[in-house]
Amino acid sequence: MSERGKTVRYPKLEHFSEPNIITTTADFIFSWARSHSVFPFTYGLACCAIEMLSSGFARYDIARYGMEVFRPTPRQCDLMIVAGTVNEKMAPVLRRLYDQMSEPKWVISMGACATSGGPFYDGYNVVNGVDKIVPVDVYIPGCPPRPEALFQGLLELQGKIQEYRFVPEKPAAPETAAPAGEA
Amino acid sequence: MSMDAISELLAERFAGDLTDVRIQEPDTVVARAAREKLKDLAARLKADPDAGYETLNWIAGVDRETGFESIYHVYSWKTNTYLELHVGLPREAPEVDTVTGVWPAADWHERESWDMVGIVYAGHPDLRRILLKDDFVGHPLRKDYVDLAENHPHV
Repeated sequence: MSERGKTVRYPKLEHFSEPNIITTTADFIFSWARSHSVFPFTYGLACCAIEMLSSGFARYDIARYGMEVFRPTPRQCDLMIVAGTVNEKMAPVLRRLYDQMSEPKWVISMGACATSGGPFYDGYNVVNGVDKIVPVDVYIPGCPPRPEALFQGLLELQGKIQEYRFVPEKPAAPETAAPAGEA
Repeated sequence: MSMDAISELLAERFAGDLTDVRIQEPDTVVARAAREKLKDLAARLKADPDAGYETLNWIAGVDRETGFESIYHVYSWKTNTYLELHVGLPREAPEVDTVTGVWPAADWHERESWDMVGIVYAGHPDLRRILLKDDFVGHPLRKDYVDLAENHPHV
């Protein structure tokens, strides 16, 4: 397992000697393409959404990471950034929208509310963490997190996407045969 | 019309219906009303040629522990002032007539007041929960509400 914090973890280009021919691995090319064309789902629920929008504007410019194409429909997205407080009435809607996203898909829990309920932990209508409804890949702390923190989370997610292997490794041969009668 | 004049007009013209009429803020008159008279009173307040409270701004449900209060905040375009109408309700049966027939804007406000505090607005066309989920148990802004596990299915 590679260490966190480095964005480039996939194997390098194998061969680039012939003109217009690049030899590489399937894992490399798929994970490279996937991790640099993340389509986030516009899921702003509270004040974290303001920071999420701010990260899309010129000052912070999420387009530097190739993730600027926010889509308002789950069918065109593969990353759900849950930015804000999830309440009990919103929870089934969130789960349904997550189910409508096509695989492969990832979820970022942005801010204290989406991660644990945050300041509304004891609220009568607040879900204490979006991870009780959908699986979360990256948690971003903060209340709300600054756009830089969101980018840190997105880069962490990039690394996570790049760790994914499409081609299964060859299974290792069993070292010893199981003793007879003890299966 | 000055605030004193409005306050006197309300106290005289609606004598017996409006009680405790007083000026609370530079543009707001506060008064109390009995819940039995509310529906009729609301129509008269709206139709009054001088005061004319045509617009409902909001309805608040308040838990006073000894009872509930349904508070109507209405506005007059004729005098450019507000009226805050407090209607006291008993704790065991907090029920009051709806004013949706007078001010249609009352629809969602009464739903919210029922949702949060549990005041029943008799005659409301569609008294459902509006902010909380449909199967929520209890009314969370009541002082004696305790958080229930069944309201938190995602644990």
